[in-house]
Amino acid sequence: MGYGRIANEKAAGATVGIGKGRSVLTATSAADLPISTAAARPPRRLAAPLWVLALLLLLTFLVIYPLLMLVFGALSDSNPVIDGFGKFKPSAKHFLEVLGNENVHLAFLNALAACGGGTILAVVIGLAFSWIVVRTNTPFRGFIAGASLIPLFVPPLVAGVAWGILGSPKTGLLNTALKWMNIDFRFNFYSMSGLIIVFGMYYAPYVYMFTASALKNMDPSLEEASEVAGASAFTTIFTVTFPLIAPAILAGSLLSFVVMLGIYGVPAALGAPANINVLTTYIFQLTAWSPPLYNTAAAVAILLMVVTAILVWAQQRILSGRSFATVAGKAFRPRSLNLGKWRWFTFSLAMTYLMIVVVLPTLALVIAAFRKFMFFKDFDALFDMRQYSWAHFNSVFDNPLTMLSIWNTLKVGVITAVIGGVLAFAIGYTVFRTQVAGRKSIDLLSTVPVAIPGLVVGVAYLWAWIGLPGGLYGTIWILALAFVARFIPDTVKALSTSFLQIHKELEEAAWICGRGLLGTIRTVVLPLARPGVVASMTLLFVLAIRELGSSLFLYTSDTTVMAVLLLDYYEGGNTGKTAAFSLVQTAILAVLLSFTTWLSRETTQSARFN
Amino acid sequence: MMRRMTIVTAFGMAVSLAGLPVWAQNEFGSKELIAAAEKEGQLTYYTANFAETEQEVIKEFNKRFPKVKVSMVRAPGGQLITRIKTEAAAGKLAADVVDHSDRGLMKELEDLFQDYAPPNAADYRPDALVSPKFWPGVTLGWAIAYNTAIVKNPPKTWMDLTKPEYKGKLIGQVVAPSGGTTWTRSMFERQVLGEDYWKKQAELGIALYPSGAPLSDALVRGEVSIAPLLYNIIYTKIVDGAPAEAIFAPEGVPIIPYADGIPKTAKNPNAAKLFMNWRLSKEGQAFQIAKLGNITSLKDPPAFPKGWDPKVVKVWVPNFEQFEKLRTPWIEEWNKTYGYRQ
Repeated sequence: MGYGRIANEKAAGATVGIGKGRSVLTATSAADLPISTAAARPPRRLAAPLWVLALLLLLTFLVIYPLLMLVFGALSDSNPVIDGFGKFKPSAKHFLEVLGNENVHLAFLNALAACGGGTILAVVIGLAFSWIVVRTNTPFRGFIAGASLIPLFVPPLVAGVAWGILGSPKTGLLNTALKWMNIDFRFNFYSMSGLIIVFGMYYAPYVYMFTASALKNMDPSLEEASEVAGASAFTTIFTVTFPLIAPAILAGSLLSFVVMLGIYGVPAALGAPANINVLTTYIFQLTAWSPPLYNTAAAVAILLMVVTAILVWAQQRILSGRSFATVAGKAFRPRSLNLGKWRWFTFSLAMTYLMIVVVLPTLALVIAAFRKFMFFKDFDALFDMRQYSWAHFNSVFDNPLTMLSIWNTLKVGVITAVIGGVLAFAIGYTVFRTQVAGRKSIDLLSTVPVAIPGLVVGVAYLWAWIGLPGGLYGTIWILALAFVARFIPDTVKALSTSFLQIHKELEEAAWICGRGLLGTIRTVVLPLARPGVVASMTLLFVLAIRELGSSLFLYTSDTTVMAVLLLDYYEGGNTGKTAAFSLVQTAILAVLLSFTTWLSRETTQSARFN
Repeated sequence: MMRRMTIVTAFGMAVSLAGLPVWAQNEFGSKELIAAAEKEGQLTYYTANFAETEQEVIKEFNKRFPKVKVSMVRAPGGQLITRIKTEAAAGKLAADVVDHSDRGLMKELEDLFQDYAPPNAADYRPDALVSPKFWPGVTLGWAIAYNTAIVKNPPKTWMDLTKPEYKGKLIGQVVAPSGGTTWTRSMFERQVLGEDYWKKQAELGIALYPSGAPLSDALVRGEVSIAPLLYNIIYTKIVDGAPAEAIFAPEGVPIIPYADGIPKTAKNPNAAKLFMNWRLSKEGQAFQIAKLGNITSLKDPPAFPKGWDPKVVKVWVPNFEQFEKLRTPWIEEWNKTYGYRQ
C-alpha cells in the first residue's frame, strides 16, 4: 500500500471505529508477526497469472484509462471525445501557463499553508485523543472513541456552511453571542486560520485511527522500562511512546494532508468570502467559468497529483529500512495510566472537542434549517420563535428531485459498496496474502486514485467512458463505477489491516487439511476478515454518499444523487434549504451507520462461533 | 404574504380567463403538435438556471399540459456546455431542450440545434436574438438590492454605488468572469456609467462573490448591505418576507436574454417544441415575471415587475458583437481593477 506497509501493520484496525468494535483483535492475537515468507501456491499454475492479468486489466480500465484522458487533456487543447485522438496536438502550453501563473502559485501556497496547518492541528488533536482513549482511564472512553469519528461522516460542504454560519466576522452566531456578552473579541472563520482550524478539527480522526491502533498494539514493557530507568510519565510519552508510533503518526498525518488537499467544500465555503483560493477551488472555478477551461484545470490537477505522489514516495522512503517492531510473540495487554483526578480533566477536554466539532455546527444547521431567514438583529432575535418553522423542510420535500436523489444515492451506495468491497477483497488478498508476480503493480495501480481530485476525476470519467459502446452512460452504474475507482485506495487500505492481522499459519493449516485456495478463502480468510470487510464496505458506502466531484459530470436527470442536489441548494443561495437537506442527509447516514454497526456486531458474533 | 397573494391571484385570474382551448391552440401550437407532444409524453430539459426556479416553470407548464413529463438536468453554465459538447460528440446528447444564459457559448454550438421559431416569434425584440435557432425563454434583469434592516439611506441609482458612504465591504459584487450575466452587467457599467466607474467603485472596497445566489443569501444575512443582483435571485426572497428590497435604477436595466434551443438529435421534438412555445408565449412569460421575478424580451411586455415604471426604466441589451469581442480584454481589466485573481 502506498501509505507504507509498516504503517499498515501498525495500524492494525485503522477501521476499528467504523462500527466493528474491537473484535478484529480477538481474531488476530498473532497480529504484527512478520508476514510468513512461504509463498501462497495456488493449486493450478496458470490460474495465478490469469488472475493477476484480470485484476490488472480491470484496474487499467478503472484507473489508468481515465487518467490517460486527463493527461491527454492537460497536454493538448482538445477535448478527447469531441476532437478524437486523431487530432491530438501535443502542446505543453497549459502546463507552462499553469506553472507560470502567479494565481496558481498563490493557490498552491495557500493549499500548502491550509493543509499543512490543518495537519499539524489534526496530529495534536488525533494523538491526544488516541492517548486518552487507549492509554488512560478517562471515563466513558468507549463513547469518546465512537463520537470522535463523527466528523469523518460530515460532508465537507456541510462543515463549511455550518462554520460560516457560526464564525462569519459580521453575522456569525458566535460573534452575535460575544456581542451580547459585551466581549470585544470576534471570530473570523473566513480566513486562513479559520480554514486551518476547521481542517484540523475535521480531519483529526484520520490521525486518530492510525495512532489509536498503533498504541493499542504496542507492548507496554518498553514504557515500563523507561519508567524503571527513572523517567517521568510525561518524559516517557514524548521519548518512548510517541517516537515508537512515529510511522503511524506519519501515515495518519500524510493521509489527512492528502485528503485535505483534495477537499473542495470547506475552502469553498470559508475561503471564498476572503478571496482565498486553494488548488481545488481554483480547479472548480476553471471548470465553472464560461467558457470553462478544462485543459487548464487538468494541468492544475496533474500538479496536485504530482505533489501527492511526492509525499507518498517520501513517506515510503522514510519508513523503508527502519524497524518499528515493538510487538514480540508474547501476549500483552495495553496498559492504561491511572490519571487519578486528572481523568476528569481529560474527560472534559474530550467533551469540549466534541462540543465544538459535533454539537455547535449541528446546532447551527438546526437553527438555519428551521429559521426562515438567517438575519439576526441581535442575540435576542435568535429566540424569536415566530421566525422558526418547517418551511425549508417542506419545500425540500416538495421538490420531486429530493426523494429521487435519496433513492438513487442509496442504490449507488449499495452497488458501490458491494462491487468495491469484492474488488478490494480481491486486490487486498492478492497483494497482502500471496507472493504472485505482478502484485506490486496491482498495489501501485490501486493506490493511484488517492492523488486525483474528485472534480477532475469526474471530467476524466466522462471523457473516458461516454464513448464506450453499451448503455453505461446515463445509468446508476457509471456513477457506481466511478466511485469504486475513486475509492479503491481507501477501501483496500481499510481492508489491508484485517489481512495483515490474520496469521499465515491459519491458511496453511487449511491447505494441509486439503482445502483448495478458494475453499480456504471461504472457510478461513473471509470469516476472520469479515468485520474488516463490513467496515470497509461501510466506509465505501459513506464515501459514495458524500461524493460530489465525480457525480457532477456523470449524473443525468434520472440519476441525480444527494450530493449534487445539496450543491444545487447551496449554489441556489438558500442557506435554510441547504441546512435542512444537510440534516436529512445526516439523519440517513446516522441510520445507516447504526444499521451497519449492528450488522458488524452480528457478523462478529457469528465469526466467533464459526 | 399579501403581496404574493395579490400577484398570484391576479395572475391566476388572467390565466383562467384566457385559457380557452382555441386560444390555446394558436398560442402554443397546432392541434397536431399538441397531440404529437402528448403522445411523446416526456422531454429532457437541460438548464443553467436555478433548479428550483425551473421546477416552478415545469409545474406551471404541467398545469396546462399534464401529459408531458419534463425531466431536468441542471448544471452551472460552463459545466453544462462541456457536458452538451461531450455528449453530442459521443452521439449521446440526451437533451430535448437546452436553456442557457450564455448566448456567446451557445452560438458556438449552433450547428447542434435545429431550426425553430415560436408562434409569436415576431413579438420578440430583434436585439435579444443571436441566431434564428435560439430564443430567450428566460430573460433576466439586473436590479440593486439592499438589506432593509441595515441600510438607512438606500441607493437609488447605479452611480450611488460609487459613493464614499458605502465604503468598507458594504457593497457585494459577483465577479465579472462568473458568466454571461455578470459580463453583461460589467459591460453596462463601463459603457453606460463611465470608463472610470469600475475604478471608483473598486476604491470603496467591494466584497466579491463567485456567483449571484450566495451573494443574495449574504445580503439577506447582512454579510453585505447592498448588492447589484439579478432581480429573480432576490425577488422570491423578498416575497417570502426577507429583510430586503430591490430597485430598478433609472440609468438602465441590463438584461440577459437566454439562448434556448432544440437540439437536432432531440428524441421528443414535438414535446420540446410545445415546451418552448409555452415558455415563450405570453402566458409563460407572464408567469415568469409574476412568480419568478424574471424580465421579458417581448417587445410588448405582458406584465412588469414590482417597482418597474415603463416610462422611466430603460432596458439595456448589449451589442452582441461587442459582447463577444470585448469580453476577454475587459474582464482582464475588471479583474485587475477589483483585485480578483483568475
